[in-house]
Parts: sequence; structure tokens; C-alpha cells
Amino acid sequence: MKFYVNARYLIVPFMSLIAIAGILIGGSFAWVGVALFGLNTIIDTLTKNIHLPADFDETGESYGIKGFQYAVMFLMLPVFIVLQLVLAYRIFQYTSLTPIETAAFLGVSYEVGTSGLNLIGATLSSGLWAGLGIIYGHELSHNKKEGFFVSRLIMALSGASHFTYAHVYNHHLDLGHEDDAATAPRGRNIYAHAWLSHMGQSRFSYNLEKERLSKRGSSALHFDNRWILGYLYSLPSIVLFVWAGGLIGVAALFSVWVIANFLLEALNFMGHYGLIRTEGAVEHRHSWDNDSVFTSWFFIEIGRQCDHHVRGETYFWELDDVEGPNYGIGYFSLFVLTLIPPLFKAYVQKHLDNWDEKYASSEEKVIAAQFS
Amino acid sequence: MLNLFKPRPTSYADRLSDTETTFTVKRGESLLSSALSAGIKWPFKCKVGSCGTCKCKLIDGKIKAQLDFGYVLDMSEIQDGYILACQSILKSDIQVSVNLTK
Ligand code: FES
Repeated sequence: MKFYVNARYLIVPFMSLIAIAGILIGGSFAWVGVALFGLNTIIDTLTKNIHLPADFDETGESYGIKGFQYAVMFLMLPVFIVLQLVLAYRIFQYTSLTPIETAAFLGVSYEVGTSGLNLIGATLSSGLWAGLGIIYGHELSHNKKEGFFVSRLIMALSGASHFTYAHVYNHHLDLGHEDDAATAPRGRNIYAHAWLSHMGQSRFSYNLEKERLSKRGSSALHFDNRWILGYLYSLPSIVLFVWAGGLIGVAALFSVWVIANFLLEALNFMGHYGLIRTEGAVEHRHSWDNDSVFTSWFFIEIGRQCDHHVRGETYFWELDDVEGPNYGIGYFSLFVLTLIPPLFKAYVQKHLDNWDEKYASSEEKVIAAQFS
Repeated sequence: MLNLFKPRPTSYADRLSDTETTFTVKRGESLLSSALSAGIKWPFKCKVGSCGTCKCKLIDGKIKAQLDFGYVLDMSEIQDGYILACQSILKSDIQVSVNLTK
């Protein structure tokens, strides 16, 4: 049981390595990361009706091994770094006009040099898998001192180091309120949300630092401003890509960041779209759960938002079904719907109606009525 | 006032301010989690160190802060020994004072 519970959360590490291998092998294998995303969407859709509870032994102890899960999460930092390095390597080959030819390493043949088309594939693969850094960046942002810094570094690889502070001090505190940039109000589409949420969280993070430093009598322009430091952590990536390919390198890194941040904000969007909270503590009803089996395992239970927002200190492998609002489909399937706003709106309406009727408090119902 | 001692499980009484209670905090577990497990009605809201509801005053002993308290507590509060129970891991037996009636 212990093996099963711990091994099931290794899908992303394994698939990230496959995506890296694809870029290294080159040719059309550079697209493997994109293909895996498509495959995952199919698996997620086919298994949407399987929902499993968290596993505990007879004494109520979780089978999750903390040391192991933390080792994996920490090791994902070098994995995401390697993902950027292999993309930079391909960009370097492309911009230095390395001839495209086949070579072999330890019996495995690979392509030296790359075509523009396959470079696009490598960039998309990198962006999609870099975006999954959010699941580790998120988990490590909570309650675990050493993890917090690793979370910042993982997010910095996508130019989003501000997330770690904004998530804890804004999103968890102001969930379901207008002043939580990460909660999408009804009627907003994912594209607008990605921009507004990203900028709103960064602004929050800056103001948080400004206030903290002013309490100490320091100005916001200070070497200990963690908002500025967060962006500085992203500097090595920028230097790497400028060195590897000049403007093409910058364009590729920008694409990776846009894709990664879009995925991050998509998770925020799906986790709380249209939900409303008036005064009082956060309760299960203020989040949407996405806990179909593939989503749960792939996204290390980040979809168990209802439980997470009430027990923010709880490790992901201990989060459970709390019978909160649930879209009934996994993140991959729902993500595809969000990309087509009218389709998402039509799908989500019945769930919002159900929320208004069964979950909302009387004050929340009043606010919800203003949206209809 | 609520008194806490880490190493030995002892009895506790769920009493309001200016009463004394002792309970065990498990290694690696936050002060707040252990207090709640012990049935103490410790005030809390977010459990992630962002709201300040769980703050208490450290009278004696050492804790390890899991997050920077500086975002939630004032400098003067930090200097006076205030900590966030949800973000405190114990490094020794401690004694704290908390207002349970919030
Ligand atoms: S419960 Fe919110 S800071 Fe501890």
C-alpha cells in the first residue's frame, strides 16, 4: 500500500523526464511533451468518473512518506532547470546554424541541429512542462520553511516567483473576495483572468513587501525586497536564453513563461471560478474540487481545493474528499473547455446554479444574484 | 493564560483565558495543530500564516518559525514575543499566553 500511495504521484516527474529526453533526441521527438499533454487529456477524460479517497491505515495515519515526497519535490527543481537547459541547447544549435544530421550516443540515435518547426515543438513542450512547476511550487509554499525558498526558485524559472507570497498572503486570506486576484468572478474568461490574476498577484506581492519594509523604516527599493529578489532569481534564465539565441532565445523564453503562467492561472481559474465568500472563515464551499483519479495523481492532489483551503497546513497526500462543490471532470478535460469560453460558460452554469442553491449562504446568494 | 510543555503527554483542561493548560506538541507538528488536536479552542482562520488570528505570546522556550511573521505581526509584537501558532514548530518546552476568547 505504501508503495502504491507514494509511487502514484510520480507521473509528472517521469513524464517531465520523457519530455526532456524528447528534446534531446530531437527531430519530431521534440514534440513528445506536447503529445503527452494530449494523451493525458484523453486519459483524464476516460477516467473522469473514478474518484478515490485518500488512503490511511487503520490507525488513521497516512501511507504517504514525507521524506520521499519532499525529496521528489526538491528534485523537481533540477529537473525543471534541465528542461530549460535542453531547450537553450536546441536554440543555440538553431541560431548557430548547426547542420541537421543524425548521431548516436550509447546506442541511442539523436538529431544534431534542429529545424525551426521542431524548435517550436521543443519550446511548446518546455512551456507545458515548466508550467507544471506550479504543483510543486504550490505545495512547497505552505508551512515548510526550507520548501518555501525552493518554491520561489521553481516559480522563478517561469518568471513567477511573486506567486509564493501572493498565494499564501493574498489568495488564502482573501479567497472568494474581490481583492483576491486569483479568484475569477463570474463572466470572466480564462484569457482575461490569466492576465489580471498574474498582474494582480504581482502587484499584491510588491505592496506586501513595501509594507513590510516600511514597518522596518526601509524604502521599497531595498536589497531585501523579496518581490524584486524574486524577479532577480529569474535572471539566470534570461541570461541563458540571450546567450543561447539572442532575440530568438528571448522569444522562446517568453513563450515558455507565457505558457507556464497561463497554466498556473488556469489552475486558479478552475479552482474558484464564480465562487463567492462574504465575511467569515474559508469553508469547503468556497472552492471547486477536481478529484477524478488521474487529475488527483497527476497534479499531486492540488485539485482537492476544498480541503486544502480549510486545512492549508495539510500535506497533499493527506487531502481528502470533503463533498464540496465538484465539477465532476478532471483538470485536463476542464482546461480544454476553458479554452473555448462560450463552451466553458455553458458547462459551468449548471454547477454555479447548483452552488447558489445548495452551498451559498444567504449573503452569498445575494451577491450571486447580482451576476445573473 | 495557557501553558504548554512539549515532552510528556499530560492532561489538559479546555479552559478560557487566565487558566493553565498543558499539552504535548508532536515533533514537527505546529503548535496550532497540536492545540486543536488536544481539543483546545485556539482561535484560527487560515492555518497558513496569513491572517494572524492564531497569534500568541511566547513567554518561555524556543520555536522555529515556518514562515516570516513579519508580514502579519507588527515589529513591536514580534519584539514582545508574539508568534503565529500555525507557523511555529517547537524546539524546546515552551510556555505561551493566548487569548482563547477571541
Ligand atoms: S491561523 Fe491564520 S495566521 Fe495562523
